[in-house]
Amino acid sequence: MHPSDLRNAIRNAGVVGLGGAVFPSAVKMNLSGHCERLDHLILNGAECEPWMTCDDLIMRERAEEIVAGIHILAHLLNPQEVLIGIEDDKPEAIAAMRAACAGTGYAVRPVPTRYPSGGAKQLTKLLTNKEAPFKGRSTDIGVQCFNVATAYTLHRAVNCGEPVISRIVTVTGHVARPQNIDALLGTAFADLIAQCGGYLDGVERLIMGGPMMGFAMHTDAMPVTKATNCILAAGLGELTPELPVMPCTRCGDCVDVCPANLLPQQLYWHARAKEFDKAQDYHLFSCIECGCCSYVCPSHIPLVQYYRYAKNEIWAQEKEKQRAELARQRHQARMERLEREKQEREAKLRQKAPARPEPAIAGPEAGKPPIEAAIARARPRSETAVAESGERNG
Amino acid sequence: MAMRFKTVTSPFVLLDTSVGLVMRRVLYAMLPGIAALAWFFGWGVLVNLVIATIMALAAEAALLAARGKPLALYLGDYSAVVTAWLLAVSLPPLAPWWLTTLGILFAIVVAKHLYGGLGYNPFNPAMVGYVVLLVSFPREMSTWLIPHGIDQAHAMTLLETLQAIFSGVLPARFAPDALTGATSLDILRTKLGLGLTVTEVRNSPVFGIVAGHGWEWAALGFLVGGLWLVYIRAAAWQIPSGMLGGLAVIATVFYLIDPQHYAPPWFHLWSGAAIYGAFFIATDPVTASATPRGRLIYGVGIGILVYIIRAFGGYPDGVAFAVLLMNIAAPTIDLYTRPRVFGERRA
Amino acid sequence: MSETGYLKILKDGVWTQNTGFVVLLGLCPLLATSNSVVNGVGMGLATTLALFISNVAISLSRNLVRPEVRIPVFIMVIACVVTAVELAIRGFLPGLYTALGIFIPLIVTNCCVLGRAESFACKHGMLKSGMDGIATGLGMTLALALLGALRESLGQGTLFSQADLLFGEWGKHLTLHLASDYRGFLLAILPPGAFIGLGCLIAVKNVFDARAQRRIKPAVAIAGPREAGA
Repeated sequence: MHPSDLRNAIRNAGVVGLGGAVFPSAVKMNLSGHCERLDHLILNGAECEPWMTCDDLIMRERAEEIVAGIHILAHLLNPQEVLIGIEDDKPEAIAAMRAACAGTGYAVRPVPTRYPSGGAKQLTKLLTNKEAPFKGRSTDIGVQCFNVATAYTLHRAVNCGEPVISRIVTVTGHVARPQNIDALLGTAFADLIAQCGGYLDGVERLIMGGPMMGFAMHTDAMPVTKATNCILAAGLGELTPELPVMPCTRCGDCVDVCPANLLPQQLYWHARAKEFDKAQDYHLFSCIECGCCSYVCPSHIPLVQYYRYAKNEIWAQEKEKQRAELARQRHQARMERLEREKQEREAKLRQKAPARPEPAIAGPEAGKPPIEAAIARARPRSETAVAESGERNG
Repeated sequence: MAMRFKTVTSPFVLLDTSVGLVMRRVLYAMLPGIAALAWFFGWGVLVNLVIATIMALAAEAALLAARGKPLALYLGDYSAVVTAWLLAVSLPPLAPWWLTTLGILFAIVVAKHLYGGLGYNPFNPAMVGYVVLLVSFPREMSTWLIPHGIDQAHAMTLLETLQAIFSGVLPARFAPDALTGATSLDILRTKLGLGLTVTEVRNSPVFGIVAGHGWEWAALGFLVGGLWLVYIRAAAWQIPSGMLGGLAVIATVFYLIDPQHYAPPWFHLWSGAAIYGAFFIATDPVTASATPRGRLIYGVGIGILVYIIRAFGGYPDGVAFAVLLMNIAAPTIDLYTRPRVFGERRA
Repeated sequence: MSETGYLKILKDGVWTQNTGFVVLLGLCPLLATSNSVVNGVGMGLATTLALFISNVAISLSRNLVRPEVRIPVFIMVIACVVTAVELAIRGFLPGLYTALGIFIPLIVTNCCVLGRAESFACKHGMLKSGMDGIATGLGMTLALALLGALRESLGQGTLFSQADLLFGEWGKHLTLHLASDYRGFLLAILPPGAFIGLGCLIAVKNVFDARAQRRIKPAVAIAGPREAGA
């Protein structure tokens, strides 16, 4: 099969990154323009967040299929090395993957279990010690990263012809039987929770995703999507209640934990003061919103919320700017068109105009070349017209 | 009907920490040093602490009420108590009550709340209070009790101490010069100014094993507490190591040039407020630099300034001035020491 | 600009555009010579005199001076006037001259003198310019006197000490001792005290103005609908 046909098939099967970002995988399999050949193909077997076990489970139970998916990836991307990063608190998954990879040359590498090592950039750094440039793509450094569950669906799509219609969801927290479920896309959260024996008492929040970056849902009548890696029904026993926010004391705890080496307290000041250009100076867009800074903040400042706010404001401003630019261009084009039409009309009028006896009108308008040209064009005819009329008169 | 849930933004789990907890840990860490001070200088140390704490809480409460802030929340952050203790420990043990009160009022009202309260003050409040007192009342601020173990006459009772602090009357059974005297740094400074050599000055009874008698034990107490603070990450390690390192290096350089006119580095490290300042004063995060490299520079700057003020300046000790001077520099240091962002090319 | 009334000039100079509290011009003498009421008032009156004469002189010559060279001319005029004032103080009030020292000749560099010349005197007639000079000078004197009173009372527990420097022998009786056995608060006398004191006075003035503003606003609010109805 030709690579572009294969990529089309993968795209049509709806294969996307199942880590949570749901970025179309077929796009990531096209290297053209970024690098000649991939140095490292990385399979992300580190869970995004604490509490999740869906990746752990798929590696333990479907290791062979994952490796079949990796074959397809390796075929398309032709990497020098295939690395499978798995957090070291999953010994069974590591053993299963090692067994499945035997003889293939793929290397299973345990990584320390330290949030957010499941982030693509962080895992890349851990495994290859390369840092993706903060304004570029990981392929710029010859690395491409896929989730293990993505590799599994790739295998199902290419080898079995089954598009992505289900995914593994971790259902955990205050439910009777926390477990992982291979759920069809579109299944309501409520049904999954019923499958797990229903809620226990004291459920306060329902979170899609993990405790650090997830989204709090206001109802369980939500469908499972490709991005639903975890459903966390949490009581206040597990989660922190809302705490009063104190002023920032610049203690620097956030600086110590930031995986992107940012200065979160500085970003906070600028986001709060709506100094968005300064926030961008401090590399606001390198923030991966992992939530580590909010987690350690002794003043309980919802730092990530400020960064999201600042990012949204900046995007809105940029969109506004683009719209204004577009409107300006449109206006300019319209003015040009009107001017052009006016001139054309005038020229036409002059052409159609009955011959005037005095050609002196050319005098004052001599400075305008097109009009002059039109008059020049018109003149012979008018002269002939005069001649004709003269003839007629005569 | 589908269940309804509370919606808030992530993250949903927070570390079990708070400003109040951090501040309380600072207070715990001061205890060994305070105990040593109280042992060598008597009840006055503790009385100062009590006066300062009461005054600080009263001033803080009044200002919070005036600014319309929630009292319980902000009094519970213990920042006023930390300021009070930091200042009280720096004061002479028999400082009159109005001196302590004035210093605290200046620290809390002017240096802290006029600038916006917790987190917004550019200068270390305790040190502003201390410097105001030092500049305005040089005589009261330089009369220290002679530490226990040099003169038998030191043992003032609690009642006598209270009388001295509140009415200024020293007990008649002691000769005035048997009770109070200059500190070791002060003596070193004066005697060196008179042309004596360091070795000659060191023979004075106020000197102990490495530095001032009694002082060195208080410094040891603060060192223990300070190391604990650094160990539990309540204080940034860069600041104390930078400050003590800077002080040690510059003191060593001058000591090697002329050991008879410049005191040895270990004397400087163990004297005055060097260790106390390095671990407790300079590490106040609000007024210090906030970047990892910046903190090192900030600390080294304080260490060098302390030495310059001690050796060439007009005051025997310079920790307070050095900290305030570097407070001004902290924002600029931060600006030029931004860490390399993940993925940024190494310059 | 020409219809500026004398009363408005006076109010602007003393309060609304007070050089010490609002415009923050001439801070150097303001901070340096305000350690007692007498020093402050002395300095303020000297500045007022210099402002008055220089404003009048510049206003008179405003049509003779080309705009390209006006600043050097202003400085020349001010320097002459200040030198004259300095010599006068030296002759008549030698005690005050010793107390104020270098700051009297430094009135030349006081931005508020040049500032009034540039922004007012060179655009208005002689009488108004003279009025402006007096008003600005009085504003400066007010600032200096208040700051001096604050610093003197806090710093050494007295008011009007050394008043004999200004008023001769009888001024000695003016000195008020606010508290007996006052220890003194050196910080208020030292330069930092001037900064802190000035900051506090500006804050107090802003509170006054904000209160006045608030008193005006409700009246406007009530008047609003009636006007709309009429």
